[in-house]
Amino acid sequence: MALSIADLPKEELFGQGHAGCGGCGAAVAGRQAMKALGSRTIITIPASCMATMGGSNLKTTWQIPFYHTLFEIAPAVSSGIRAALDAQGIEDVNVVSWAGDAGTADIGFQALTGAAERNEHMMHVCYDNEMYMNTGGQTGSQTPKFAITSNMANGKKVKKKNMLAIMEAHEIDYVASASIAYPLDLIAKFKKAAKKPGFSYMHILAPCHRGWQIPAEKTIELARLAVESGLFELYEVDEGKRTRTVEPTFIPVDNYLLPQGRFKDLTQEDIQDIQAGVNRHYGRGE
Amino acid sequence: MSTTLLTGSEAAAYGAKLARIEVLAYYPITPAFPAMERISKFIDEGDLNTRFVRVESDHSALAAALGASLAGSRTFTVTNSQGLLYMTEVVYHTAGLRQPVVMAVANRALSAPHSRFPEQGDAISQGASGWIQLFCENNQEVLDNMLQAFKIAETVRLPVMVNYEGYIQSHTLEEVEVPDQEKLDQFLPLTRVRTLDVENPQAVNTVASPEFYMDYKFRQNEAMEQALTVIDSVSTDYANEFGRDWSGLIDSYQMEDAEHAFVAMGSMISDARIAVDELRSQGQKVGLVKMRTWRPFPAEALRRALKKVQLITVGDKNIVYGLGGALGTEVRSALYGQTVRINSYILGLGGRDVTTEEIKQVLELSEKTEQQATASEWFGL
Repeated sequence: MALSIADLPKEELFGQGHAGCGGCGAAVAGRQAMKALGSRTIITIPASCMATMGGSNLKTTWQIPFYHTLFEIAPAVSSGIRAALDAQGIEDVNVVSWAGDAGTADIGFQALTGAAERNEHMMHVCYDNEMYMNTGGQTGSQTPKFAITSNMANGKKVKKKNMLAIMEAHEIDYVASASIAYPLDLIAKFKKAAKKPGFSYMHILAPCHRGWQIPAEKTIELARLAVESGLFELYEVDEGKRTRTVEPTFIPVDNYLLPQGRFKDLTQEDIQDIQAGVNRHYGRGE
Repeated sequence: MSTTLLTGSEAAAYGAKLARIEVLAYYPITPAFPAMERISKFIDEGDLNTRFVRVESDHSALAAALGASLAGSRTFTVTNSQGLLYMTEVVYHTAGLRQPVVMAVANRALSAPHSRFPEQGDAISQGASGWIQLFCENNQEVLDNMLQAFKIAETVRLPVMVNYEGYIQSHTLEEVEVPDQEKLDQFLPLTRVRTLDVENPQAVNTVASPEFYMDYKFRQNEAMEQALTVIDSVSTDYANEFGRDWSGLIDSYQMEDAEHAFVAMGSMISDARIAVDELRSQGQKVGLVKMRTWRPFPAEALRRALKKVQLITVGDKNIVYGLGGALGTEVRSALYGQTVRINSYILGLGGRDVTTEEIKQVLELSEKTEQQATASEWFGL
């Protein structure tokens, strides 16, 4: 039976009084995920906006155990937490590491691939805003080609590293992409991941309006256009079985790209290049 | 109590086993790896009910141990040299979070140039990290210090390093008395503190503003100062229970009427005891002060032990570039304002031998040296 918004718990385990910007995509992702995960969850978050906006000094927005870890270690810390829970016979607790694209794909990748290979009973969530926003918006491996950032004024020259494919190659229990514009799809995937005995990887496209140079109120809209244009495919790989969970309408990619300040210097040729990539991926127009 | 032949690595492993660690995380490195393998064997043979997290790096090893500790389990890891440097970020972080993780360190020289041989530079590099650091003179002390380390760590809520030198201690067999488990369980009951607990949610390591940060650091240092008392009392309790007295923070040997004291730590101590005996048989009034504790630095205990001597010779198996030997520097600082002559020597780096003979030579050289030209002189080049 499909989920509906009315079925979701009213309880807010994250987000009330957080210190993020209005319209923060990461905060929306956190709120939605917690609707699925529930209060018996321990979350570790490495250096990132999400870590700093979760609490400062004596205040926190988290209603569950939350640990702001060092940058590279969240999946390793969570592995240790799971080992301790097992040793103490504590069951039915979700152990989650939740990192940005840097803490997942770049500086945090070593601990992530280690925990995934060990098939630890935990999930890792990447909230991907496609640049290093906590330090002002520099280019990283998850920054898409052509995007302008604070340290690459002429745009990135190379492609975004495909983290979902990399994590799928670990042959872990569950891999899924998700979008904050499709909350029921996101929540259904978190519920599935939480039931797995081994490792799950969730990759959420969570726009940052500051980095993407869009109005704050366009965060969800841009997240939706990324999916509708086919640039961010929503799918899951459940114990090896790959399923697309949302069929895109394939609006032309410029609908998604041109409203964003970070793509202001795109040429027609660049846009055609991106559109050709989408068409190739979905086997369209051949 | 049973007596058996154990290497330093095995002694550390038996310590972890007797302490009934719940979570073990490590990444193999030479020469620490036999300790890890021994504990893994205890687990595989069903002698130890411990979860092993087979991490992909030293950095993640301490991170996993830290996570387990935050979730309330007694945890242990072991490393040395490059592994310790690689995990340095987590070393400081663990101390700041006040987690009682115990780590064995099979001290080894640091690269470059590459060396796999013994030296204490790795431990010294962590001297500002906020970890309590104990050094062991033989394999019996490795085992006993491991057991005391958990007690100290869980009392003051600070992590503890148990240092023993690579090969000289890690790979050398000695007779070791292994305490009975039942008796040890009484000495070392687990004091479980669950910081990350779904029944009592807390936020850990939230951003601290200037109004808060400095006060956390004050408390952390206060705990280190408290450890000066706790290390002594745990040592006394252990002696009462198990009959071996390692004398707390520092140990004095033949110091009652000594005019010249040798101050050192680690494997040199066993050799230095013989050197002192031999020099005494020739009528020289020499003694030995063993630094069992390197952090917190036991300055007051050291001043008391050295108050009657005229000459102090410090042996350092480490070099702080541009400064000198770390222990020599600390001894000078602890005795500031006193008239005693202090000579400090760098020796035994990267596995260069320091036997009884070398220690006697250093002591004789020091007798003849009125005023050192530099903070530390090099011996044995």
